This record gives sequence, structure tokens and C-alpha cells, in this order.
Amino acid sequence: MATRERKAPKTWSLLGDVKRRPSVYEVTASQFAYHFRREPAPFEMSPDAPINEWYLTHREGSVFNVDDWEGYRDPAKLTYSDYVMLQHDRETYLDGLIDHHESASSVESLSPEWVSTLTNAVVPLRFPLHIMQMTALYVAQMAPTAFIINASNFQAADEMRRVQRLAYLTKWLANAHGESIASTDAARAAWEKGEAWQPMRKALEELLGVYDWGEAFAALDLVIKPAIDSLLGDSLAALAAENDDELLALLLAEFHRDAERSKDWTAELVRYAVANNPALAEVLSTWVAAWTPAADALVSSYATLLPGADTAAVVTAAAKARADLLAASGL
Amino acid sequence: MPRLPRSEWYDLTRDMNWDLSYITEDEAFPPQLSNSFGVPAHDWWAWDEPYKITYSEYVHNQAGKDAGVYSVNNVLNRSDIWDNLEPGWRAAVIAHYGAIAVAEYQAGIGEARMARFGRAAAWRNMATFGTLDETRHGQLQTYIPYQALAKEPKFDWAHKAYHTNEWGVIAARHLFDDMFLANDAVSMAIQLTFTFETGFTNLQFLGMAADAMKAGDFDFGALISSIQTDEARHAQQGEPTIKVLTKAGKADVAQDLLDRMFWRAWKLFALLTGFSMDYYTPLENRTHSFKEFMDEFINKQFIDQFRDFGLEKPWYWDQLLNEMNWTHHAYHLGVYFWRPTVWWNPVAGVGPAEREWLEEKYPGWNASFGKYWDTMGQNVRDGHPELTLPETFPVVCNSCQLPVCTPAGYAAGYLESPLPYVVEYNGRKYTFCSEPCKWVFEMQPETFAGHLSIIDRLLSGWIQPPDIPGALAYMGLSPEECGVDGTDYDWAGPVPPATKSA
Ligand SMILES: [Fe+2]
Ligand SMILES: [Fe+2]
Repeated sequence: MATRERKAPKTWSLLGDVKRRPSVYEVTASQFAYHFRREPAPFEMSPDAPINEWYLTHREGSVFNVDDWEGYRDPAKLTYSDYVMLQHDRETYLDGLIDHHESASSVESLSPEWVSTLTNAVVPLRFPLHIMQMTALYVAQMAPTAFIINASNFQAADEMRRVQRLAYLTKWLANAHGESIASTDAARAAWEKGEAWQPMRKALEELLGVYDWGEAFAALDLVIKPAIDSLLGDSLAALAAENDDELLALLLAEFHRDAERSKDWTAELVRYAVANNPALAEVLSTWVAAWTPAADALVSSYATLLPGADTAAVVTAAAKARADLLAASGL
Repeated sequence: MPRLPRSEWYDLTRDMNWDLSYITEDEAFPPQLSNSFGVPAHDWWAWDEPYKITYSEYVHNQAGKDAGVYSVNNVLNRSDIWDNLEPGWRAAVIAHYGAIAVAEYQAGIGEARMARFGRAAAWRNMATFGTLDETRHGQLQTYIPYQALAKEPKFDWAHKAYHTNEWGVIAARHLFDDMFLANDAVSMAIQLTFTFETGFTNLQFLGMAADAMKAGDFDFGALISSIQTDEARHAQQGEPTIKVLTKAGKADVAQDLLDRMFWRAWKLFALLTGFSMDYYTPLENRTHSFKEFMDEFINKQFIDQFRDFGLEKPWYWDQLLNEMNWTHHAYHLGVYFWRPTVWWNPVAGVGPAEREWLEEKYPGWNASFGKYWDTMGQNVRDGHPELTLPETFPVVCNSCQLPVCTPAGYAAGYLESPLPYVVEYNGRKYTFCSEPCKWVFEMQPETFAGHLSIIDRLLSGWIQPPDIPGALAYMGLSPEECGVDGTDYDWAGPVPPATKSA
């Protein structure tokens, strides 16, 4: 055979002379984003083709940069396989939760007042949650390393997960309490025109228009998403429990696990970036400060959709969630 | 399981289309990343995927599929199957991993582009699954060769290839960047999911999975067929996109996107799949020739699919049929001759029995392509294998980035002229292997004109020294990594002992 005798390699040659044998998580992501800082341009076409310029401006050209992004690790260290195995288990749990509440006719026995709160405050949520899915996918496609790309893609999939379980609940509510609850036009009208939704819509539409990858990450993952996750995971969940809606409370608790995973990789990314480029603390703080008023506005406005909830408590919970995340991030 | 069937609530998972108020349409969907081709925003909302799946179903299915592939690999990786496979098959697998593994991961970035910039929520959801799928394919197809690195050091190229400027990798990047990584969402739905995944990869993966099983490579067979089940699902983003364009009176846009990418995909397919099917796959495992495969699956079945959408055969159809007779034979010859420039060990695949098969499948092969092999075989038998190796460089096409093989096509009687096509644009001369390649360039000169082919780089001093060793170093090939004859010249018949392992 023509294959020459060689010493068996320890790992991918591009990983260099490693001391520790890299994990599966590492060897199936390290240096996959080969086009980042590639010369003369990221993509194999005219260096000044519009999409090359897009990446050179918004990724390579972002102030949110360090010398080497490849050292970053998502604390959850998820490969694709880990992610689907994890969520397969969690979805099995949710299937069981729904089975239980279907047998108990929980949704059928909700009070009319609470059904109306759900119709106003929960049903239209699929619009903003979908935009957070979109934005996470933008951060992913622009991120400089697969370790960030993967984490942000999985986050987007988690948003879709949340949208779909709420869609199921919406249909269930409609079957029990009136078909109009599941009307697309009604949900869209609330989203497009309902006064309480406008600060959230404004923030998210403006977020769609942010193309610097660093600012998109900071605005979504440090400010806007934590605010919306707090509205759902803290305030709405508490209100659901008070209104004997155990199903919604547990669904939101489940989504909160996903939200926590988002915060973990976000905080770690900030810590990694600042450790490698201390000037980024200021950059990130400036973005956080710029987006905070929009987050505060959407929180207090959404609170008006939650009758019986203490608006001050809703605002405090969201502020605390942000403060905790910033503290965990070292900002 | 939850009682409501999917059909009752599915629409509520994908009706999140709304009118923007706080930013403009162009700000949210910049044309570079999402070309609407003038179709109004609300028309896109009718986008309806033929294949429905929920998140829950997705993670349940995929967890099972992944467990299956990993457990097969877990068992087979401990076996000695790899070492006992035919050298030709191993060359095909090593070439596949280098060209495809990390590229599939990049397709995930393309899918994320559609998942963000696709113009309907339903589409964005399907593309979100596509993003996950391609992450899977990138990771599986690096994990499996990684596990076998100790047995096969060349598997390093599953990871390394896209970091290099190896000529085949430049060609692959040039194609795939145009197709997905650097494409806009709408064009990508036609060019990646419809043209490439529905047309080419679907069939190639099915073919390769079957060949793998026959060749005894069960690990690769299980991998490829599992991947294919994902491709078959997310490839269906093309169809509804074509329907929206067609309904808006933009069938010509879809046709044009298809035509450009179909040719480009053909060229890379002719290279990689051409030699795999007609030369590398062991003779006893072959079920059809590359040409028969193209005829049946691409030219008949795929054409029927696009006719269903009111699209037509591309204008260059006769040229495609013509190239199917000879282009991949020329590419194979070129890859073998320039074998130090590839990361796998090419096999010639032209022993007496193989030549008989080639003559039967491609009448006239012996008198045309066979002659080059006669000469190389004689050189080997004379103890001069160095004469079967290159000292100069071929001309490379400025579109497909593959060697211009018009002289071979002319010598074999398929072309009227051995000359390449030449275009002057902004004072620079560009060379093309074929009329459609020239046309692809002329349709979008601003996208391609600033790019330098590997030969342009040599001539403009990027590659130093500008000779074969300099070029090999530029291509990321260390002396141990350069391809050598995969069968140690067994194909040439009895050879002097000194010739072996030259
Ligand atoms: Fe794929
Ligand atoms: Fe070409």
C-alpha cells in the first residue's frame, strides 16, 4: 500500500500540539468558521462583492472583536447531537405535562377573566418570540467562531420551541373558549396595533435593523431577550400560578431553562471577550445603555396586559434579571 | 401524546407575518441578503412548505437518527473494515470528506440566512430546521473521520481542507459561496435547496449510500443515508419559493437562478462524482456509469420536477449532454496526472477489466482517453513513473475554477475547437472552459471579476516560488500529504521493482 508510515495524529493538525485530548464538542466546532478574517476576503469571489463587504463591515469590522475567538466555549458545551438528545428529553416531559392537563381538562376549566388575559397577553407572543428567533439566527450567521454560531442557533431553535408550545396552547384555548382566540388576524392586529405591544414591537423591529454582529448580540442577548424572558419566566409565570393555571406556569418554567442556557453562554461570551480585550467592557456597556430604555419601555407597557400584576414588581423583576446577567457577565 | 393533531394547530406556528412600522422593508430585509426580485411583501406570506414538521417531532426523530449513526460508528470504528476497503473506494471517501464535511457546516450558515431573511415565517421555520440539519451534517462528517484519524491520517483533510488553497477546494468554495454562504435568501432557496439539494445531492447521496454498502463500507453508508433523510426534508424550501415567484409573474427569475446554478453544480459534480463512479468505485460494485446515472436521475427525474413548476430545461442542454460523454474522463485524467495536488491517493482505475467496462459504457473511450493511459502505463513499465507526473500547470476556468479540458474534448471528437472561451472585462482577460461557464460569469461580472483563479495567482506573484513545489506549499500540501498513486501502479501491469512507491 502506498500510505506511508506516520505517527498517529493526536487531533486535527490545525489544533496544533495539544496537551489535553480535545473533546468531541471541540473537534466538531474548532475553526469551522474558516472564512473569518480570511484573506483577501471572507468568500471566494470578488473581494469587493457586496456580501464580502457586508461581512467585512459587520463581522471583521465590528468593534466587538478579539485576537482569537476560537478559545471561547459555551458552558453547556452542546454539540448538535447533545442538543437534540437534551431537547428530546425535555419535549418528552412537556408531552407528558400536556397529557396530564388534557386528562384533567385544565384549560377547559380556566376562568373567563384569565382566558381573556391569556388571549391578550399570551396568544400574540408568537410574533415577538419569532423575531427573537430571527435575530439569534442573524447573530449566528455573523459570529466569528462555530462555538458562538452553534450556541446562537440552538437558542433560535429554543425560541421556535416556545412559539410552538404556545401555538398548541392557543388552539386548545380556542377549542375550549371560542375559535376567535386562534384567529391569526386578531393576534396580528394586537401585535401591529395594540398599544401595549408597541414598545416591544418597536424594540424588536429596530433590533432587526442592527447589523453589526456585536451590537446585535449585545442588544438581543444582554438586553432585549432577558427583559422578555423575565416577563414570561418571572411575572407571567407568577401570575399564572396565582390564577391556578399550573399548566402555563410549568410551561414557562420549562422555557426558563432554555433562557438560562442563553444567559450562560451570553455571560461567558462577555467574560471571554473582555478578558481578551478589556476595551470591550466599555463598548458593551455603551450598547447596553443604548438599548436599556427600549427594554424598560417594553416591560412596563407589557405589564399593562397583566391585570392583577403589580406593575412595579414586573419592572423590578426585569431590572433584576438584567442586573444579574450583567453581574454574571462582569459588566 | 398530546391530543390535538398537528394539522389543527400547525398554522399557528407559522403565521407570524406582519407589516413593519418602525423600520422599512429594505432595512429589515436588505437586498444583498434577501433579494425580493420585486415580489410584494404580502405575496411571500403564501409560502407553504410541502413537508410539515414540528419542533417536537424534529428533536424526537433526530435524537433517534443520531443515536443510530453514532452506534453504528461506535461498533465499526473498532473493526478493521477501513483497512480492508479497496483503495479506490477509500480515495472516494477521503475526497468526499474534504470537499463536503465543513462545506455542509457552512450550508448551516446559509440556512440561517434564509431563517433570518426568508420572507415568510413558515419559510424561516423550515430554514431553522435546515440550520440544525446542516450543523448535524458538518459535525457528523467531521466526527466520523476524526475517530478514524489514527487509521487514516488523510482524514485530517475533513477538517483542514477549507482552510487551504488546494485547487479543488478553491473550486468548491467558489461554487458553494455563490450557492449559499455568500448568497441571498431568495436566490439560495432556488439555487441551494432546489437546484443542488433536490437535483444533485439527493441523488448523489442515495447513489453513494448504495455504493458504500456494496463496497462494504457500512459506516459511511449508514452516515450518508441518515444525512439524506434530512436533505430530502429541507430541500423542499425551493418548491414554495418557485411557486411564489411564478405566481408573481417572475418565473424567468427562477429559471435564470436555476440555469446558472445547475451548470455550476454540474461542473463540480462531474469532477467529484465523475471519478468516484467511473474510476474509484471497484468495478464489481458499480451498478451504473456516471453518464447513465446523470441520464436517469438528473436529466429525466429532475427535469420532470422542474417542468412541474413551469420551468424549462436550461438553454445549454445540448452542451450538458455533450459534456456528459467526456468531461469527467478528462477531469479524472487531470486529477491522476496532477495527483500531488490532491489530498487523497487517486487510483487510475484503468486495468484491463475496467477498460473493457469503460469502452462499453463510453464507446470510443479506448481510442481517445485510453491513449493517454497507454502512454502513462508504458512510462511506468519502463521504470519512469516520474514521466506520469506534472512539471507545468493547466489553464484554469475563471468560472468553475477547474482545469480547462477543451483540448481533450476536441481530441476525443466532442468539440469543434480545442480553444477555451475568452472574455475581456475592464481590461482583464478571463478564460473559460465552456460557453455556459462564460455565461455564468457574464451574468454577474461584478461578483466574479475581482477573483483570481489559482493560475492567476501564480502569474501575479502570489505563489512563490511559482513552480510545482511552491504551488504545493501554497495549496497546504506537505510532501507527506500529496496524493500518490493509490494502488502503487498495479493498474499498469508488471513494473520494475524500483518503480514502486515512487
Ligand atoms: Fe446537508
Ligand atoms: Fe468552467
